[in-house]
Amino acid sequence: MDLTQARLLFIEEANSLLAVMESCLLEIESGDAEVAEHIDAIFRAAHTIKGSAGMFGFDPVVVFTHNVESVLDKVRSNELEMDAALINLMLDCQDHMAAMIRQLEDETVSIDLQQGAALIEQLHQYIQPQTEKAEPVKAMIHNSPAYWQLDIQYGDDVFRDGMDPLSQLNFLQTLGSIENVTALWAFPDNFDPESCYLHLKLDFASEASKQQIEDVFEFVQDSSTVVITAPQQIEQSLQNIPPSDEKLGTLLVSVGAVTERELQSALQVQQQLQQQSQKVQALGEVLVGQGAVSADAVAMALDKQKATEHKRPPDFQFLKVEARKLDELINLVGELVTAGASIDSLLQQIEHEPLQEAFGVLTGLLEQIRDGALGLRMVQVGESFSRLRRIVRDVSKELGKEIELVVSGADTELDKTMVEKLSDPLMHIVRNAVDHGIESKEMRLYKGKPAQGQLKLSACHESGSVVIEISDDGAGLNIERIRQKAIEKGIISADRELGKEEIFKLIFAPGFSTASAVTNLSGRGVGMDVVKRNIEELRGQIQIDSIPDKGTTFKIRLPLTLAIIDGFLVRIGDTHLVLPLNMVQECIEFADLHENERNYLDLRGEVLPFIKLKQLFNLKSDAKAKENIVVVQYGNHKAGLVVDQLQGELQAVIKPLSSMFKSLKGIGGYTILGSGNVGFILDIPQLVQFASTAENTACHPMS
Amino acid sequence: MDESFAKDPLSHQHFLTFVLRDECFGISISAVKEIIEYDNVTPIPLMPEFVKGVLNLRGEVVPVIDLSVRFNKAPTEIQKRTCIVILEIPFEEQTVTIGAVVDSVSEVMEINMETIEPAPTFGARIRAQFILGVVNTGDQFVILLRGERVLSVEEMTAVIENVVEK
Amino acid sequence: MKTILIVDDSISIRQVVGLTLRANGYEVIEACDGKDALAKLTGQKINLIISDVNMPNMDGITMLKEIKQLPAYRFTPVIMLTTEGSEQKKEEGKAAGAKAWVVKPFKPEQMLLAVQKLILA
Repeated sequence: MDLTQARLLFIEEANSLLAVMESCLLEIESGDAEVAEHIDAIFRAAHTIKGSAGMFGFDPVVVFTHNVESVLDKVRSNELEMDAALINLMLDCQDHMAAMIRQLEDETVSIDLQQGAALIEQLHQYIQPQTEKAEPVKAMIHNSPAYWQLDIQYGDDVFRDGMDPLSQLNFLQTLGSIENVTALWAFPDNFDPESCYLHLKLDFASEASKQQIEDVFEFVQDSSTVVITAPQQIEQSLQNIPPSDEKLGTLLVSVGAVTERELQSALQVQQQLQQQSQKVQALGEVLVGQGAVSADAVAMALDKQKATEHKRPPDFQFLKVEARKLDELINLVGELVTAGASIDSLLQQIEHEPLQEAFGVLTGLLEQIRDGALGLRMVQVGESFSRLRRIVRDVSKELGKEIELVVSGADTELDKTMVEKLSDPLMHIVRNAVDHGIESKEMRLYKGKPAQGQLKLSACHESGSVVIEISDDGAGLNIERIRQKAIEKGIISADRELGKEEIFKLIFAPGFSTASAVTNLSGRGVGMDVVKRNIEELRGQIQIDSIPDKGTTFKIRLPLTLAIIDGFLVRIGDTHLVLPLNMVQECIEFADLHENERNYLDLRGEVLPFIKLKQLFNLKSDAKAKENIVVVQYGNHKAGLVVDQLQGELQAVIKPLSSMFKSLKGIGGYTILGSGNVGFILDIPQLVQFASTAENTACHPMS
Repeated sequence: MDESFAKDPLSHQHFLTFVLRDECFGISISAVKEIIEYDNVTPIPLMPEFVKGVLNLRGEVVPVIDLSVRFNKAPTEIQKRTCIVILEIPFEEQTVTIGAVVDSVSEVMEINMETIEPAPTFGARIRAQFILGVVNTGDQFVILLRGERVLSVEEMTAVIENVVEK
Repeated sequence: MKTILIVDDSISIRQVVGLTLRANGYEVIEACDGKDALAKLTGQKINLIISDVNMPNMDGITMLKEIKQLPAYRFTPVIMLTTEGSEQKKEEGKAAGAKAWVVKPFKPEQMLLAVQKLILA
């Protein structure tokens, strides 16, 4: 592996660790987290970043992170508390580290060295007091008996074997400090001066693992009995590990409460007992019986085994795959689906049942492979939610508002590309909600609302798409003000009658901004029009609902994936068009009785506007061809699309439109049909909008 | 054959020559990916005339441009010998694959760069910026084209946008 | 100063172990096989013996049995160097009175740790 690639891996790893750090800090702050678990995760993140940065010689990162790590280590060992002030400092440090990592990627990024120095200074204030004052340490000793208890019953032959207990104790002191020694003597009647009768009990303070301590007595293990009891702290670290379906023994060994040797010996005892008495004694009981571990620790470990449904903290047990490889695989799967469609269309032409059946099986497998491959790109939407948590926190702090963020459905999965591209629009909406939506504390109290505002973020699956909702309990959109503003900005004419929904939509118009004073928070030069465009680029839609003084809800509906859709194929002349199947409601025969006079029809008593695609796209086709209407629905909108021929369902691999044709409205991409021809995938919401603009232009040529 | 490779690579370059409306043009073979027969081009709705459509090149969807229209002449009439030259055009640090429709492809010629004369400021009836130079091969003049300008993605995008927005 | 006798027919092992131990404050005497070792034991104060098992002239286990017969050296601790997988040799060594062992191949630091567990420099 050449170093550039390793370097990129490092940057990627560091960024994901920084994200873990941030989300853990925020969760601790909001109080809905297992603190110890999260502190461990934060520490590990800093530790790993420091380690890998060192390997690459990124010394500034190492130095800075080392300071962060030192403070975190103190938090981990309960010497420091992760209070609000420290969380703030840690978040600032996380920002600084992120900036340093960004600079590795892009040399033009500048780092505020003074800020870095100031942060180190602040970190030092957390590190130093401990070495100056002894009290905190003492207090700690009082709280948690951090001592290992060693019970060493030396065997008679120890001296004869040439073993020297004093050497062992001296050696033991290289691992820590012996705090207390109790010597127990029991001399038998037939006292032998060459025999060893020493029995020692030690309190041993050490950071070493149980295995390391046990190893000190390696050479007397056969002749003597050494029982090592882990300090409470180690056993308590069981609390800090994620719930696990690991075996009890493995779990206990992993936290260092039990050594491998103790486990093996307990397993042997367990087996012997079973053979002798046909009775199964639980491993935990055997271990406790041997004095290897306390009953509390076993109980705790068992709890962890049970609590598998308990939320797992951020974990790194993933296989990292280069995105490029994944994309190549998905492209290939796309080709496979296309090739399958091509065979299918050939099979339609011959009568060969066994062949068709065999192909049916193949198709089933193909679909599974397709779904599996697409699933590889799926990530939890929570990734972008946790960034939002930070924004809500920072912005509300800056504005002096109290806002509670309620997140649900963070584990909803969505294509990675979409999660990435969604991040900016979500951030913008959330900023807006905090900035303009939720009122100041005083205003809320005046209105009789709780002082603390609430922002809800939720994600869920809804019939083949993902719906993300951002709702606040703020003031709601001011219909009259939006109207006024739109008139001022020349977006609508003063005499235009508009419904509530249409008025809400105005905030998505380019150049529209509701805030009378653009604060530096929301005013990043991005308007809601950009938000809407971003969402539409993902083939998604955004809707607003708002009730005065109750709040505003943004509803974003997105397709599950960007790569393949289930489509419905139609034809006009020689042009093949694919509609997203989930939007197709029904198909009806079209008899154009009114010859262009009006573009709507009566669908079982309901008015259905329709679009003649032939005219809209200026397509050539046989004038006498029978026409059909495909009724499509998206959100609350229904429309009919007039086409020549209906050709049925297909799986369409979406290929993005060449950049040259980006200005083309209503067409979202290409797909290659079974026949080898190129079909166009319709973007229904955009198409309807395009058609209505075209119609408006035609009706009011001047507006 | 072999001796052509022995020559100074800078002073001698290979050009693919083709015929368009009875005139002979050349384009550096470094930009040429392949040449295919004109077939199965799917028209795209609402496009200006120079966009013939798109074609499926082994899974890749490639826009096809009518060079004749780009040169402000009448659209190419599709005949037996009509070909599509598949070119790779640099765009925003990447390359974009574009097909160019020509009446017929002639040959690959080695041209001594020193014999190239500058483009005539007028008379060729083609925008001067499209032309790299003109070379006299003895029996005819060959107009050497700048592929990246003739098929400038940026410019064509702007033209398309203009037409579509109307 | 504590004196260690290293018995091994491999000169490189004697050298590396010797170097490591001397650097950590031990006196080291070298012997190339069991016979040589027994010859060097006469009259000298030895605090620890490190011995290979397979050696020409006299193997480590035979040597160990002999040493246990010598009043002056019968309580001298012995570290046996065993090869991974030779459980049987290890058991033989234990029976002969070697209670400590280090598995070959080892790093010099590992040897030092084992020594430190047994005697102080």
